[in-house]
Amino acid sequence: MAIARACDKLIAKGKKIAAHALEAAEGDIEFADGNFSVAGTDKAMNIAEVAFTAYVPHSYPEGVEPGFDENAFFDPTNFSFPAGTHICEVEVDPDTGVVEVVKYSAVDDFGRLINPMIVEGQVHGGIAHGVGQALLEGCSYDSEGQLITASYMDYAMPRADNLPSFDIDYAPTNPPDNPLGVKGCGEAGAIGAPPAVINAISNALGVRHIDMPATPETVWRAAQQAAAVSA
Amino acid sequence: MYEFNYRKVDSVAAAVEAMQQAEDGKFVAGGQTMLPTMKHRLASPSDLIDLGGVAELTGISVENENLIVGAMTTHAAVAASAEVQQAIPALARLAGNIGDPAVRNRGTLGGSIANHDPAADYPAAVIALGATVQTSKRAIPAEEFFTGMFETALEDDEIVASVSFPLPEAAAYMKFENPASRYAIVGVFVAKTGGEVRVGVTGATACAHRGLRLEAALGGELDAGGIDAVELPVEQMNGDIHASAEYRAHLVKVMTKRAVEACQ
Repeated sequence: MAIARACDKLIAKGKKIAAHALEAAEGDIEFADGNFSVAGTDKAMNIAEVAFTAYVPHSYPEGVEPGFDENAFFDPTNFSFPAGTHICEVEVDPDTGVVEVVKYSAVDDFGRLINPMIVEGQVHGGIAHGVGQALLEGCSYDSEGQLITASYMDYAMPRADNLPSFDIDYAPTNPPDNPLGVKGCGEAGAIGAPPAVINAISNALGVRHIDMPATPETVWRAAQQAAAVSA
Repeated sequence: MYEFNYRKVDSVAAAVEAMQQAEDGKFVAGGQTMLPTMKHRLASPSDLIDLGGVAELTGISVENENLIVGAMTTHAAVAASAEVQQAIPALARLAGNIGDPAVRNRGTLGGSIANHDPAADYPAAVIALGATVQTSKRAIPAEEFFTGMFETALEDDEIVASVSFPLPEAAAYMKFENPASRYAIVGVFVAKTGGEVRVGVTGATACAHRGLRLEAALGGELDAGGIDAVELPVEQMNGDIHASAEYRAHLVKVMTKRAVEACQ
């Protein structure tokens, strides 16, 4: 939002510069698609030309400072609240405790998506991070305080073969206190995935709790206990 | 890494001679274990004798009902070999699942068994298939070759030349991977050869070994029905953050059952 406000300031300044250079009234300058144009004519300068003029001001309006950068500060009157639902299907091998994530669906409300490709990447990375936390990643120390998961030979990072293809969609709503209509999305996957994965395992085993990371041995022991209880 | 002398040789005889002249020499095959160990300063040989140029140590052939794999044959070459795939498909698959592509393209059969990492894959196959390790000095039966964690029957100046695998009637390898390193937490190779069923176990204990209790339960048949009742000595099992001794003992039986089923 602060970026949008800074851009608004730059556009206002650019209109002054373009009006002077194009010998038109400032009120007649329109800005669209990176171009400053005089309304109703084919006279125009693109934003690069305006920026160049701003720094090499041989034709420049009086009273306007050279330069083409602006600052803005945005203090929202209220937060925006992203939300979503992540659903995960797992297959548990009761003989070994190995958990395979076979299907993962997520629908999130991130408000308006400015760059959908980046949003999708954020969700993918977040889910991978969350599945890693749920199934694989854990720091272990020995009795003398030595970290024994200090390399990737011992610290299990999620890899491509730990993950299915994700099914991702969006259900945007408009946050009233953010004029751009945007919300945060960076951590959604990492927040949604651990409970989705752990709930799926708990559901499969018929247990109420299982500690993260749900390693094969942890899951195998939980399956053994569940079988003993139901026997 | 500490300083060392690098020796490139082109024959087994020259390699042995270089080793005998070295103060504290080491042979290097693919270097997939040796070089990281030296980089971590856990090994500091005076001389590194590179077997990479010894042509006589490379190659795959089938002779007299035996598959013979040269010690310097890479895992990738074994995995991709039509002869191995036809003679012992389980061995080709095992080689194709060792480490990652970089390891498979550099790492070798001889290097793997001479190093005898207790979580390496090949030792299980060498044992279960009743292979014979041909060295620069003698022929060593598989069961006498692996003597302890990172220990083998090899003498300091002895080089693995090839491994001779009798062709089995059926064979399969099942590996339970460490989720981080992808080494075998437990690997079980089951082979039926000449009417006898053998079980080779790696990862589970300090030393790759024959699963004699498991073999007794199988009784020469590819029928896993008796495996659940086998009691394995938990106190001999490795235990670490990824798998306790009790869980490893359980996994040995699960992997044995799955390997037996895959044999059929």
